[in-house]
Amino acid sequence: MKESLLQRLIPPALILCAVLGVWEMLVRGLDLPPWLLPAPSAIAVRFVKATNLLYHTGLTVLEALAGFAASAVIGITLSGLIVHSRFLERGVFPYIIVSNAIPIIAIIPLLTIWFGFGIAPKIMIAAIITFFPIVTNTTRGLKSADRRILDFMRSINATRREIFFKVQLPSALPYIFAGFKIAASLSLVGAVVAEFYSSDRGLGYLVITSATQLRTDLLFVSIIVLATLGVLLFALFGHLERMSLRGEAAIEVNR
Amino acid sequence: MTPCVRLQDVSVSFRTSDQPVQALANVNLEIGEGEFVALLGPTGCGKSTLLRVVSDLEHPATGVVEVRGRPAAAARQANEFGFVFQEPALLPWRSAIDNVMLPLEVVNYPAGERRARCERLLEMVGLTKFMNRYPHELSGGMKQRVAIVRALAWNPSILLMDEPFSALDELTKAELQDELLRIWARERKTIVFVTHNLSEAVYLADRVAVMSAHPGRIVATLSVELPRAREPGLRETLEFLQQVKRAREALTR
Repeated sequence: MKESLLQRLIPPALILCAVLGVWEMLVRGLDLPPWLLPAPSAIAVRFVKATNLLYHTGLTVLEALAGFAASAVIGITLSGLIVHSRFLERGVFPYIIVSNAIPIIAIIPLLTIWFGFGIAPKIMIAAIITFFPIVTNTTRGLKSADRRILDFMRSINATRREIFFKVQLPSALPYIFAGFKIAASLSLVGAVVAEFYSSDRGLGYLVITSATQLRTDLLFVSIIVLATLGVLLFALFGHLERMSLRGEAAIEVNR
Repeated sequence: MTPCVRLQDVSVSFRTSDQPVQALANVNLEIGEGEFVALLGPTGCGKSTLLRVVSDLEHPATGVVEVRGRPAAAARQANEFGFVFQEPALLPWRSAIDNVMLPLEVVNYPAGERRARCERLLEMVGLTKFMNRYPHELSGGMKQRVAIVRALAWNPSILLMDEPFSALDELTKAELQDELLRIWARERKTIVFVTHNLSEAVYLADRVAVMSAHPGRIVATLSVELPRAREPGLRETLEFLQQVKRAREALTR
C-alpha cells in the first residue's frame, strides 16, 4: 500500500513541533537574551515584520539561478563536445578537476576587482561552483548510453546528431538532473558567499549585517529562508530525476 | 547467383594491453538469400565479432566482406541490417511502439506510415495490448519481441541476431523460437543467428556454422537435415537428436 503525502509528512511535522516547543520553553524558562538565542515565536514575528526580505531573497535567487543556468548551458554543451572528442576530453578534463580544487572563496576578490560590486561576480561565482557537478555528471550520463543501442543506431547509419539527441542525451537525463540537484544548493551557497565579501543587498548581506549587529532573530530568518530555497530546488530536481528514470533504478552521482 | 553474405579469408584482431588477440582467423562463409544460418560456438570464439564484421561495425584486418555483391559498408548505407542483441536494449523512456519507431525516424521512413507499420508489427508478435507500455512494465519475453520487431521495422533484408534468446527462461525461449520461425517464413529475411545452444541452432537453422575459439574460426558447416515447418514436437524426435549429436561432434572435434 502506498502512503499518502500527508501520512508521510506527519512524523517529521510532529518532530519539528516538538523541537520548536522545547526550544521556546528553554528560551523562556532560562530567560535567554534574544541576541544569544531568540525564541521561535520571536523569529516568526521577525519573519513577518522583516522589511525588504522579499527583495533580498529575490536578488540572491536571481544571482544563484542565473549562475546555475549559465553553468548548465556551458556545462552540458562542453560535455556534449567532450564525449565526441577524445582530444577535448583529455585536454579539458584535467582543468575541470583543477577548477574544482580551487577554493571558491579565493576567487571572489579577484572577480570583484574585475567586475565590481554588482551582481555579475555573484553570478559568476554561482556558475563556477556549480560547473563541476554539472559537467562530471552530464559527461558520465552521456557515456552511460547502452553500447548495444549505439551499435544498433550505427548499423542503421544514424548520424552523430541523431545518436546524440535520440539516445545519448535522453540516457543522460537522470544524471543531469542528479547533477542539477547538487548544483542547485551549491549555486545558493556561491551567491551567498559572494555577497558576504562585497554587497549591500541579498541574503548574504542580510546574514552578515544581522550578525554584526547581533540581530540574531533576523539571522535566523535569513538562514531559514536559505534552507527553504535549497530544499525546494533539491526537491524539484529530485522529482525531475525520478520522472526521467522511467522506473529504472536510481544512479549514483559525482559530488 | 551471388550469395547474400560472402566472407572470404576474413581476419580480425584486437589490440590488448599485452599482445594482439586474433578474434577471427581466415573465416570463409557464404550465406544464401533467405537462408537461416546459425553460428554455433563457445563464448569467446568470435561469433559476435563476425556479426559486427558483416554489418560493418567492425573492420576486418584482412579479407573481403560482401553483402549482395557490394562491400559491407554499402549494405549498411542501404540499411540492409537489422540487429537484435542478447539484451533487448530498449530505450527506457520510450514506450514499446515508440521504441519500434526509433529506427523509422532514422532511416527516413515516410512519417505518416510509421505508426501504422509499427502497430502491424507489434500485432504480429501479439503485443497490441502492450504497445503503450514502457519497457520496465514488460516481461523479458515481451521486451525481446519488441526488440525483434524493432529490427524489422524498416524492412531490412538481413537480420543479425546475437544470442537473442539466451537470457530468457526455457518456456519463453521455445515460444520465441517458434515465433521467429513464423516471422522468417512470412518475411523471408536472411537470418544470421549467433548462439551457444546446440538444440537452438539445430531447431532454427538451415545450416549451422560451427566455430571454435583462439583464434576464432569456422571448423565445420553442417546442413540441418530436417524438414522445414518445424514444430515444437520435433525437439523430441530421434532425427532431431541425431542432428544435435552431429553438431556436438563437430563442436568437440
